[in-house]
This record gives sequence, C-alpha cells and structure tokens, in this order.
Amino acid sequence: MRVSPAGRSRQLALVEDSPLRHADPRTKLFLSLAVSLVVMTSIERLLIFLAVYVLFLLWARLIIPTVEHIWRLKWVLILLFFFDWWLISLDHAILICLRLILLTGVFALFFSTTNTRELGLALEKLRVPYRYAFSLSLAFQSLGLLDDEWRTIREAQSSRGALPNVSSFWKFITNVGDLISLTVPAIVLTTKRAWAITEASYARGFDSPHRVSYHSLSFTRLDTLLVTGTMILLILLFWRR
Amino acid sequence: MLRANQISFRYPQEGHGLSPISLNVERGRITLVTGPSGCGKSTLARCLMGLIPHLYNGEMTGEVWLNGYRTDEVPMWQLAEKAGMVFQNPAAQMLAPTVEDEIIFGLENLGWAHDEITIRLETALTDFNLAHMRHRNPQTLSGGEQQRLALAAILARQPDALILDEPLSMLDTTAATELIAYLQKFAVSGKALVMFEHRHEYLDGLPELHHIALDGKERETEFLSANLSARERFKLNIDQLQVQLGKREVIQNLDLEMNSGQIVAIVGRNGVGKTTLLRSLAGLQKHDGKVTVNTAHGNETPNFGIAFQNPDLQMFNASVRDEMLYRLPNPDLNYFRWLISALGLERYENTPPLLLSEGEKKRVALGLVLMRQPAHGLLLDEPSLGQDQLHKTILIRLLRTLADAGQLVIMTTHDLTLASHADRLILLGPGGEVIADGLSDAVLNDSSAWQKSGILLPDWFLRGRMESQ
Repeated sequence: MRVSPAGRSRQLALVEDSPLRHADPRTKLFLSLAVSLVVMTSIERLLIFLAVYVLFLLWARLIIPTVEHIWRLKWVLILLFFFDWWLISLDHAILICLRLILLTGVFALFFSTTNTRELGLALEKLRVPYRYAFSLSLAFQSLGLLDDEWRTIREAQSSRGALPNVSSFWKFITNVGDLISLTVPAIVLTTKRAWAITEASYARGFDSPHRVSYHSLSFTRLDTLLVTGTMILLILLFWRR
Repeated sequence: MLRANQISFRYPQEGHGLSPISLNVERGRITLVTGPSGCGKSTLARCLMGLIPHLYNGEMTGEVWLNGYRTDEVPMWQLAEKAGMVFQNPAAQMLAPTVEDEIIFGLENLGWAHDEITIRLETALTDFNLAHMRHRNPQTLSGGEQQRLALAAILARQPDALILDEPLSMLDTTAATELIAYLQKFAVSGKALVMFEHRHEYLDGLPELHHIALDGKERETEFLSANLSARERFKLNIDQLQVQLGKREVIQNLDLEMNSGQIVAIVGRNGVGKTTLLRSLAGLQKHDGKVTVNTAHGNETPNFGIAFQNPDLQMFNASVRDEMLYRLPNPDLNYFRWLISALGLERYENTPPLLLSEGEKKRVALGLVLMRQPAHGLLLDEPSLGQDQLHKTILIRLLRTLADAGQLVIMTTHDLTLASHADRLILLGPGGEVIADGLSDAVLNDSSAWQKSGILLPDWFLRGRMESQ
C-alpha cells in the first residue's frame, strides 16, 4: 500500500516576503501574458530571456517555489526532451523544454504572489463580469483541495482493496474499467463541494445587485516600473525577428 | 418571523424529500427540530432559507413566509438579507482565501459602505475570537474554528433569522457548548433561530426552547445477535509513534498497548491528531516508530479495516449489495445477511448507496469494511456522526458483538455517550499527548484530566451519568 505524507498539500503557498506580493495583480497578469508571448520566440532569444527571468525571480525571492513547481514536471520534461531529440533534433528538444519550463514558472510566479481574492478582483477590474471572475477565482482556490481529496479517495479505496491495479501501462489498459472506483467518488465529492459553495454563497446574497467591492486595486511606482520594463524587454526581443 | 404552511418537497429522481409540515419560528427563542436520519431535516432547512425552490428542482407544495416575504416570490439575495444559514459541514462552505475575506464576502453583497463593512468585520472578528487568525486560510482551521467562522460570516450580516443545519455534528463538547452560548445570545436579542440537530442534549433544559420532532419513516430495526467465529487473541503495540504533518509534530513518542476483544475510544479536542493516529494504525500515514501486532505465533503487520469520516470517499457501485460485496472472491453470504440487517440497511439492499442519507451511507461504509473481515479489527473515525439515537444504539451493539468475537475496535469520537460504552477510554491533550488512559468509567470520573484536555463535560452528560449510576 502506498503511504502518503498527508498534511502536505501541493497547493502553492503565498510568498509573503516577495516584493511582487505588493504588486497589483493586473501587473502580474500582464507579466504572465508577456512571458507566455516570449515562449514563441527563437531559442537564442529564449535563452537571453531566461537569463533575465532568472535574475527577476531572484529579485522577487521566487526561485525556490518556481523550481519546486518545475520539479514536479521532471518526468514530463525528461520524456519530452528525449522524444523530441530522438524524433526531431536536439535544438527542438531544448526549445520545447524551455517553453514548458517558462510557462510552468510563470504559473508559480503568479500564484505564489497572488491570492484568489486578488485574482478575482483583477479580473473584475478588467471588466470580466463578477459572476465569472468569482467562479474562476474559486476554481483556482479549489485546485489544492481537489488534490487532497484525490489522495484521500485513493487511500480509502486502497484500504478496502478497491484501488485499480495500474502498476504498468498494460495493467492500466486492461484494468481501465476499475478506475470507476476513483472517478465516481471524485466526481461526487467535487460536485458536492461545488454545490455546498453555491448554497453558501447564495445564502450570503451572492446574486445581490447592490454588491460593492471592499478591496480596491491601485497602481504604484513598482507596477509602473514592472510594466515599462517588461514592455522594453518585449520590444527588444521581438525587434527585427 | 419564519412560517411554513404545509410545505412538502420531492426531489426529482430520489422520490423522497419532505412530508407535509407546518411550523412557526418565533423571535426570542430557539426552535429545535429533531428527527431520525433521512426524515427531511436538511430539506426543511433549505425550504425555510429559500434555497428550495430557488436552487433546487423538484416538486414543492405549500408556502414559506420569511419576515413578510413569500420565499418563492422574491429573489434569493433579498431572502439572504433577512435570514442566514449555517450548513452541516463548515469546511465545505468556506469560499474565501482568508478568514477576514470570508466575513467580508457577505458584507460586500449587502452593498454597505466601506467604513460600515470595516466596523462589522472588526466586531465579528472580536465577538467570535477570530482576530488573531484573520489572515489564515479557512481550510487550515480546526472544525470548531471553522464553525465559529461560518457563524461569524453570517451574523456579521445581522440577519433577523438564523437557520442551522446540524451545526454541532462535527464539534467537540467544548466547541459545541460555546456555540450554544453564542446562539442563546442571538435568540435572546430578539432574533429567530431554528436549529436542526441530532445532538439535542446540548439544548435540553434551555429556557424558551421550542422542540419540534419530525416523523420519520425509519422503522424500528431489531438487532440480530450473531455468533461470529472467535479470533485468536493478540496485542497491538504502538511503540514511540511519531507523526509530522508539514512543520507540525502531531503525534510525539506515543506508546500504547491494546488488547484484542476490546472497544477503545480515543477522545480529544478537534485537531489534536486523533484521525492521524487511526491513519497510522491503518498503515496510511507515514510515521516513525513501530506499530505491531503480537500473537501467539509472533509479530504480525497490523491488518485493520478503516471506516472514514466521509463515506462518499468509497461509494461507487449501483447498489448497497454490490458496494458491500465488491471484489470479494468468496463472500460469506450468511455474514452479509446478518451484517446488512444489523446495520439497518436491509430495505436498501438494491438502492444506489449515493442516494442514501449521510447516516445511512456511513453504515454502508462500515458494512463494506466489515465484509472484508480484517484480521485484527476495526478503526472508526467519528462513527456516530450523522446517526440518530436508534442507529447509535445499533452501532454500539454491533461493535460489542465484534469485540466479543475477539476483534479490536478503536474509534475516535466527540460523542461522550458513545465513548462511555467503550471498554477503555484514551483521552488526548491539546498537544496530542495521552492525558488519561483506563476503563471508560474511571476516565470519565477523572474531572482533572478533562480539564487538562480542554474538553468540557457538559451538564447534560454529567446528569445522565449520575442518573444511570
């Protein structure tokens, strides 16, 4: 039986001492979009950007959470690297892996410095209707909980001998029907959680047309610097492609 | 204030819900609604709040009036301005990343000015002793703290009526007693309060209590005794058990010995590590130290069946029968027949377990673990949660039958009545340390140990013990 280190949620914890923690979430959304754009560039420019990005993470005290987040993808990265190298070329393998590392890193950057309430508020300010901004921020908040619930379901089913045998690819294929012992409870728990939150939010006037926002967002000098710096970097990277 | 005229509700697929009922909830007193598992208490609570018919499809008859509004004629947000509802599972209703955001959410929806929200927020944090944890994630709080937060988030909105669906079920006696004190204050201030609860002992004797007992379709279930084959005697040894969860050492150097043929109750406040201990014994939790079973033939790896607090973790089959017999190569059908009857589930044999009430699902979860006939016994995490009195009695008799057959039954519980039926009671302190360990009666009489543990022995419990002695 697989024993799990329960209590260690894989949810990203907020890095309170990061300077980015005080930046406007809209700025961080902009930074994330900028990085997502940069992954489209060539390998040479990507390497230059990566160097700048590492320096930026060092300044933001986010190297450790970012590396931890990327580390979880190690097997995907290794497989991807070798398949691409084998099937296409070494350059292509490096490029694809770098792109994935950057995209994963940007996810860690955003969610290590922004809580879901701030994300919801940023989306609202960007004119996403409140209903959808709220739902999206709740969905991100629930990711860690889903991970914990999945682990508990596995434990509960293994304790009654109902855990599907997926120790090898062939066993996974032949026992795929047995996955129902995991998927049904997962769907039930997720649906129940979603329903409980729906009830709790409506019981607190979620659909009120009089709603006001208690928190507000404001651009500071830090935000101006970050947005300007990122734009300059983008112009330099994409200048004369 | 809150009035229901002959309301009934039928869920579209399940075919049951709530039988016609009328009730009147007046200001200034607590209305307590009790009834057996599955009689429709939660459905009635949702009808009173207006969640039925606003969020639920189904067939509703009759009418509910809330402070002059007919609930099916005004939008949900307007009802939410007049009444608040606290649900059974506090963790499931948390929707914000911090404690203060949880309270602010409801206040923002009222459209109050920033300064007004700040005042309400600070008052709620102080009144419910949450100020020191205002920046914490609600999911990291203990059950008692979460229940307090759920109540604070509702009461900060200053509703005229409060509806609570089994708010005590997950709380230890101290947290439950504190909660009742808050609720009394709320009712005395001229507000209407209706509470749906199995654990009505906490409210018995309160002045101005209006008690409504709902009829259930639950039949008296006769417990069939059985001669289970006797197991070989053994001893469970827990040697220097240590468990670390994140940075917190939940169990520190725990040494215990337990003999087969006993029911052992582990009692302690919310969050002291009771469930972690059970998980360690079941082999599900990474730990230091040794957990072994000593038999006449030497040491063995423990083989316990574990019934979890949340039965939904395990249910996926199309019927209770399929669920209990899943993947058993040669099931003992005589044992199955006895078990399904002993658990009061005979009439649900062909019903999908997911359609049963929470209490019934818990009994199915217990049944499927017992059908596997684990070699050394059973681990139960809060087995009486969601069970009415009748099924609690059945549960106690079932556990006694298993213990008499030589199995070791270890359960964690907040339910002191259930704990008093155990042979041995282990009382854990705030740091997870053993404060008292011995015969149940002896530990229950050791008032200084209970004081140290932070668990209050409620008056109703002490009175009951004196009467039975």
